[in-house]
Amino acid sequence: MNRLLLILLFTSPLLLRAQSGQIPVNISMFNEATAIPFTRLITTPIHPGIQLGTEFDYRHRTHSRFFQTVNVCYFYHNYLTQGIGINSEVGYEYRLTCGAAFTALLGAGYLHTFATAEEFTFSNGHYEQKPDRGNARLYPSFSIDAGYYLKRDNENGPKVFIRYQSWIEYPYSPGFIPVMGHINLHVGVKFFIQRKEKQ
Amino acid sequence: MARIAYSLLILLLFASCREGEEINASFYDCEFNFTDSSLTNPSRAAYQSVLDNMTHRGVVGVTMSVYHPQTGLWLGASGKADLHNHVTMQPCNISRVGSTVKMFTATTVLLLAEEGKFGLDDKISDYLSGDIIDKIENADKATIRQLLQHSSGIYNYIQNPKFQTASLNDLIREWKPNDLLKYAYHQKSYFKPGEDVRYSNTGYIMLGKLIEHIEGKPFYDVFEDKIFGPLNLTKTQFAAADPVPDGIVRGYIDLYSNLQVIESTYFSGWDYYTADGGLISNPADMSVFFQALMNGQIINSASLNQMLTWKTPNEKDPDFFPIAYGLGIFKIETPQGTAYMHSGDAIGYYANMLYFPDNGVTIVYAVNSNYGDIDQFVSTREAMEGIISVKGIISVIRD
Repeated sequence: MNRLLLILLFTSPLLLRAQSGQIPVNISMFNEATAIPFTRLITTPIHPGIQLGTEFDYRHRTHSRFFQTVNVCYFYHNYLTQGIGINSEVGYEYRLTCGAAFTALLGAGYLHTFATAEEFTFSNGHYEQKPDRGNARLYPSFSIDAGYYLKRDNENGPKVFIRYQSWIEYPYSPGFIPVMGHINLHVGVKFFIQRKEKQ
Repeated sequence: MARIAYSLLILLLFASCREGEEINASFYDCEFNFTDSSLTNPSRAAYQSVLDNMTHRGVVGVTMSVYHPQTGLWLGASGKADLHNHVTMQPCNISRVGSTVKMFTATTVLLLAEEGKFGLDDKISDYLSGDIIDKIENADKATIRQLLQHSSGIYNYIQNPKFQTASLNDLIREWKPNDLLKYAYHQKSYFKPGEDVRYSNTGYIMLGKLIEHIEGKPFYDVFEDKIFGPLNLTKTQFAAADPVPDGIVRGYIDLYSNLQVIESTYFSGWDYYTADGGLISNPADMSVFFQALMNGQIINSASLNQMLTWKTPNEKDPDFFPIAYGLGIFKIETPQGTAYMHSGDAIGYYANMLYFPDNGVTIVYAVNSNYGDIDQFVSTREAMEGIISVKGIISVIRD
């Protein structure tokens, strides 16, 4: 039941948006890092990730809009973990007449992480290899981004953006490390696809 | 379309899992070149049960030495040296023993002081300069003795969350001393030098630099010259020369506190080049070292008295034994009596060595797994009590 509610929460913007003709698509590649948010920008080594999402406007004015996103993402943190997540964010974007746009997003999501190395599970007094069922996590996030609308006069034109996403992985290691801080540095593009109308 | 995407994702998740390294069991072969009392020790069954109890609760593997002046040296092991290759742990196997190296560092510093190369109450800033002194609070005032005794108040770089997340971000990075010291730059000191005691790895990195400054060679070469060689510690080495030497048992971490471990043998790169960690050894060698140190075979009695001059922290830790800080050594009050000790963590490894001055009993144990739920079985007060309270381990029992 809870899962159903979560899915509805995350997909409601999609369903609403699907009623209109244009569906915005956000796709970004990112570099994930464990870090204290806002203390690092560019980190090495690269832990690659990809995010795919869409968004829905709640309020749209000449220079600003208030919107909600829904995204799925995957990242691979070498030697440690890989995760697949679904999240939703509420965002505020301010758009300048020159096409530049600045956005802040506050989000929450569900993340399922899996070990990237062989895992051994303690069972019946000894360790053995078992299928990795992964670990369930919540991941609240806060992001800021800077973008540019390539067609400044067309609000449905493509946009390129760089996004700094800070997020918390919770729970991380109960009784040991309660939460883990992460940052994702995204480079992405937003574009619109035309929804097929029924004949 | 969705089905294809879903299948690709599942494939990606499974394909991205790194398999364990295939290692022949002979890689871990080792032997002792001395005789011990392991097979005849009257307490051998009780000692072995301690180790088996640890591995039956979630510790991957453990080695232990128990030296008693009346019954000699017992050596034992339990569990696995390598889970992927199903290799059984042997008593002679080597592992990372982390911060236990601080006792070696302190011993070396005391030896150099005996040689008149500096005084323990000299300021460290008399010998080191630059950012280490300028950017680490208290470094300009702290003495060598205060660094040894953790009474300098200097911030412990390991406590810096930026370091903790950075080390997790690059698990196989090999950190050099100055890389680590930067995490102590401009951090507020815990107290003024001499006012209290609080554990600081930063101080021991500085002591390693002091040894190198005085001797003109890497501090671990000085360890070799002054300690490893003279005591014939053939299984003891420092990580810098060979970070993952032949025969070292695999390390494992329970990162998520659920007794699901992954291998971490190559993750200890912040432990390879600094005098606050990085030692590789086995309990037999460490027992030889600890006994020799306490018997005055390495440093003279005046230096040993300095080492065993205690300072208690202003704030007690209710979860641990009452503790006092010496120079590179601790004194704890256990139900079995006073013990001198030093323990050490590396990623995937833990070791502890204890010496009971009332009867000369020396216990050293090393495990190849830590963090999360495993720590409670190896490094807590309860875990230590579980070992030292075993019948026969302090007092002698006869068949």
